Amino acid sequence: MEVHSRDYRDRARRIITETPEVRESVTAATRTFVDNRREAFADLDEAALSGWAKEVKSHALTHLADYLEEAETRLVERGAHVHWAETASDVHRIFERIVEENAVRKVVKAKSMLSEELALNPFLESCGVEVFETDLGEYIIQLLGEPPSHIVGPSIHKSLEDTRVIFHERLGTARDASPEDLAAAARDFLRETFLTADLGVSGGNFLVAETGSIALIENEGNIRLSTSVPRIHVALVGIEKVLPRWADLSTFLQVTAKSATGQPVGCFVSIIQGPGGSAAGEPDGPEELHVILVDNGRTRVLADPEIWEALRCVRCGACLNICPVYRQTGGHAYGYVYSGPLGGILNPGLVGLEETLPLPFASTACGACADVCPVRIPIPELLHVWRRRAVERGLTGSEERTALGLFASAATRSRLFGWAENLAGVLPDWVIRRLPMLREWSDGREPPRATGPTFRELWDEGIE
Amino acid sequence: MSGDARERILGRVREANRDREPVAHPGSLPEAAEPPAPLGETGRTDPVGAFEVRLRAAGGEVVQLANEAAARSWLDEFATGFETVSVCAGVPDALQPVLPAAPPEEAALGVSAAVGAAAQTGSLLLSSREGRRSQLLPPVHLVWVRAEDVRLTLGDALQSCREDLPAVLALHSGPSKSADIGQILITGVHGPGRIIAAIVGG
Repeated sequence: MEVHSRDYRDRARRIITETPEVRESVTAATRTFVDNRREAFADLDEAALSGWAKEVKSHALTHLADYLEEAETRLVERGAHVHWAETASDVHRIFERIVEENAVRKVVKAKSMLSEELALNPFLESCGVEVFETDLGEYIIQLLGEPPSHIVGPSIHKSLEDTRVIFHERLGTARDASPEDLAAAARDFLRETFLTADLGVSGGNFLVAETGSIALIENEGNIRLSTSVPRIHVALVGIEKVLPRWADLSTFLQVTAKSATGQPVGCFVSIIQGPGGSAAGEPDGPEELHVILVDNGRTRVLADPEIWEALRCVRCGACLNICPVYRQTGGHAYGYVYSGPLGGILNPGLVGLEETLPLPFASTACGACADVCPVRIPIPELLHVWRRRAVERGLTGSEERTALGLFASAATRSRLFGWAENLAGVLPDWVIRRLPMLREWSDGREPPRATGPTFRELWDEGIE
Repeated sequence: MSGDARERILGRVREANRDREPVAHPGSLPEAAEPPAPLGETGRTDPVGAFEVRLRAAGGEVVQLANEAAARSWLDEFATGFETVSVCAGVPDALQPVLPAAPPEEAALGVSAAVGAAAQTGSLLLSSREGRRSQLLPPVHLVWVRAEDVRLTLGDALQSCREDLPAVLALHSGPSKSADIGQILITGVHGPGRIIAAIVGG
């Protein structure tokens, strides 16, 4: 996927001013997620659970090569084809071969953020393959030609009315169709598609090394269908998805679902060990299973001594839901696959700080994201690491450097500071709006006003 | 190409971890941290009851039947609501409804037999060995489960399947649902919109 993160400020501004309904939809939906999550964790020892989950994922990452080899061995024993891909073009070449060898014409896709990274849909379409997203939210935004806005709820920014309009145009539903009728229309169309597709693509929430199992969590059943009905199943799995033991899986399934939507577990979980059908002596299921283990920047993040912990992420979206900044715009402002606090720490690692610069700054540093992370990624600290590096590499604006330089010289000279404080109290709005840094901040906000006596004056008077 | 990519990726992973202190695996989840199953202490001695609470909360249906005879007579009544059925391989003859058979994509009812269940999450464990289509394509899914196969925790339920895993072990823990259209909850989107767990024995 192309990276447009450098335009974050403009994109955010446009979303807020031109489509204010996006903020409404996103805020309402994320509040529901947050409430449900809080309820799901109310009667359990969250700290003990997240502490344990953190250790398991850190263990897996610090032993990653061995576990990847173990998972590969198990999968091959069960008859799966295991591929390794360093980049998106590696993945494209692997797909090209599978498509050619099997004369694949129609593909059904279950939601996979990794496939968004890899720009898989446009590639498959360029091979003459029809691609259908089957998650209802993904299907809606595919019809609209948009990328997902949230890693769990891809159409979180769309209202019922938006879906009515596009389904009326594309599926011929009534202009005032009920949500149930809209869902039924999508179901009917996609059901036919499942039954006639040659190949199903999925991601993978977890890869269990001990058993070579790929685990997938969902609510609609489209993942089960995509991985069961077509003759070929291709699973795209990021190399960081490893869990060491079968016994680790049950807790991670629950922690992820609880953090994402507040459910005890998703309505459907698929735990896939190998191909099905006659290859496995089973009545149905795909005859071929291809598992593509994808790097695409992950080894670079792993090699980073300060950022590697971001790879513990289980993609629950809890940090997006709680983030006051994400809620204003939804995911599109961030200009890459991962948005919110997760995008701020992961995108610079995956595609480079220069390409994604404003994202680590798209945060109030309130720390709410760290409180809800089920694997205790120190998100605010990692955001700060990227901010520090941006300054060190001279990537931040000259205005900011000038303003902070002025502040630093005033703050280290007592008399000058007092004079500046008093000055700030009497400056009119139009001057404040022109000051470096404050200008940017006050664009769209009321500029801050100094009121009453300063702290130092109060101090000198003595506080009663 | 893939072989070279494999070596390069594993090489980079090893290099990245070379000077990093390895983190030890913390072992099993401490019991105090285990997400609780419904009904608290009562649930420990009555996993079937706890399972029922959890699956119902997710929108599923549960019926408890004392023995196979009771199951049979319940089934005869239940089956009158359907015109056709698709039955998974492995469902005992006595637990198959007397209905005309239809392919899974046309049947009104799918019937399968779970290999286990977990009260903690309200999950039925289904094996691909009995065939997946009848578990997924009909709009209504009836799942037989033996009372003695209902475990308290999901971990225990998964562990009981560990030694002989099918191509897919699936957990069904409620009807298919989605809130992707304007955040309004809808059931029966792709998978079955009704799931009925029929627990026999106990």
